[in-house]
Amino acid sequence: MTQDDILATLTQTLRDLLGDDEIVLAMDTLREDVPNWDSFNYINFIVATEAEFGIKFRIADVESFPDVGAVVRAIERLRAR
Amino acid sequence: MLFNSYAFIFGFLPLTLAGFWVLGHRRRDWALLWLTAASLVFYAWWRPINVLLIAPSILINYALSLALRRTGEDSPALARALLIGGIVFNLCFLGYFKYLTFLQGTANDLFDAGFTLTHLILPLGISFITFQKIAFLVDVHAGRVKEFTFRNYALFVLFFPQLVAGPIVHYREMMPQFAVAPCRFSAENAAIGVSLFFMGLFKKLVLADPLSRLVAPLYAQAAAGTPLTLTDAWIAALGFTLQIYFDFSGYSDMALGLARFFGIKLPVNFNSPLKSSSIIDFWLRWHVSLTRFLTAYLYNPLTLNLTRRRVAQGKPLFGGRNTTLSAFVWLLAMPTLLTMLISGIWHGAGYAYILWGLLHGLLLVVNHGWRVLRPRIFLDAKSYNRAMKPVGFVLTFLSVVFAMAMFRAPTAGSAVTIWQGMIGMFGATLPEAILNRIGPAGPWLTALGFTPAWTSGSFLMEATLRIAALLAIALCLPNTLEMLARFEPAIGVKPAKQPERLVRLLTWEPTSAWALTLAVVTLAGVLSLGELSEFLYWQF
Repeated sequence: MTQDDILATLTQTLRDLLGDDEIVLAMDTLREDVPNWDSFNYINFIVATEAEFGIKFRIADVESFPDVGAVVRAIERLRAR
Repeated sequence: MLFNSYAFIFGFLPLTLAGFWVLGHRRRDWALLWLTAASLVFYAWWRPINVLLIAPSILINYALSLALRRTGEDSPALARALLIGGIVFNLCFLGYFKYLTFLQGTANDLFDAGFTLTHLILPLGISFITFQKIAFLVDVHAGRVKEFTFRNYALFVLFFPQLVAGPIVHYREMMPQFAVAPCRFSAENAAIGVSLFFMGLFKKLVLADPLSRLVAPLYAQAAAGTPLTLTDAWIAALGFTLQIYFDFSGYSDMALGLARFFGIKLPVNFNSPLKSSSIIDFWLRWHVSLTRFLTAYLYNPLTLNLTRRRVAQGKPLFGGRNTTLSAFVWLLAMPTLLTMLISGIWHGAGYAYILWGLLHGLLLVVNHGWRVLRPRIFLDAKSYNRAMKPVGFVLTFLSVVFAMAMFRAPTAGSAVTIWQGMIGMFGATLPEAILNRIGPAGPWLTALGFTPAWTSGSFLMEATLRIAALLAIALCLPNTLEMLARFEPAIGVKPAKQPERLVRLLTWEPTSAWALTLAVVTLAGVLSLGELSEFLYWQF
């Protein structure tokens, strides 16, 4: 799975969650860039992503993902194990 | 040693700074060692035996951190055990000093346990230091902190500007600053430091402390079971709200200023909380570093785990329009109440603190609940926000003031007495001299139910004037962070893109007008020194 594939999956997850089909995630997207992506929906997004990829992030990582790219890289790392 | 004492301002601070700058010209690490040693003296000043308590705790925490770093990713189970062990050790350390007496008392009340109460003297700043150490262990475990030495760790824990009452800082925001600090005299840092420190001293001694004298007898009266009339009850609640506001605001400014002398910036801790238009907003402005700690190390991990569990069970999640009641209760209300309950317990051992925490938890839950419901009732978010902002402000203000009575009252019961007084259950009186001198308002107030009292009007006059003046300052004037925004007074503070007129007018500048103003502020502060008056947050 390439980074683009992961990004596409994440975009779909967040679209479903926020009910907004205009959302397009890129590696440098910040949470502030997406309307209504508040801290609650962030947690929901993280958990939905975990279910989607069958992985489990570390709590400390969840706290400190600076942008969507960091989430993508963490997914790659966890899937490689 | 109190920030507001002669010994600190005219002895400890000049000596520490002189040593720091002189040594800094030779070798930076000597200057930093000097600063660590000075901080230890600062801590020991009040009760030297405290050093014997804090030193072993530092050593044990450092050893644990080393072990954690070594175990790292090789053995997650062992690392986890070390982390949990460390957290439990720190909580027990805090619990022994802070809660033992309370637990014994509660056991006696409930089960007639017959414990003899152990009266321990709380080591200074133990609650703040404990949280900071826990945060460090978690950060090492998470790999957010990789490089650390004993010298750096000791400086991080002991750095005296934030040692006793915060802000609660992170290793990763402090040590990079110490690593590059020039440790030499800088005119800019000294000017900003002096300004922040003495504005803080002024807030504490000239604005906050006189209120303490006004409200203390009222709380004593409530504790003795004597009802408070309408005006007295409101003076008690409003007066204490403003007292703790300026006390903590002053402390936070002084901490920022002191750190700045050494070229260090601390995080924002206090940002005009009474201007908030919601309780959520309030907690993002009052004791910011505590909210940040509780959110990152308690609330978020809790919600993450609860959310995972619900996903595994296939139940609906919290968020947006489709939020169900059970998702709201389990994913928002529960973790919020628990976090604020722990915040209450952290502030002190006593039922009133516990109730205060729960009360704020409940207010936050209502606030979040309304955020979920509001879009279903009011579709146009923009016009809603415009119209409702003032209502939000008034509701938030009243909630904070009512809750503060619980925070201050010696017992939960006496806080209820004050609340009853505030809603007029014990009648409303005005001194006869005032009632007769306010023209047509007199008969109007009498018709509303005010009765004349044969007491002096001077207490009411002084209290009203002080409260009105301080409210005006808290609500209308820009705060020190805004005034000094150009010089980044706290980590991450930047000037607003389009500052309001008043902010532009009161922006700090190295001009003679500002020099004169600050000289007056400093003089007023220094002349009020003398009476021993602790910061309210030093007791936590």
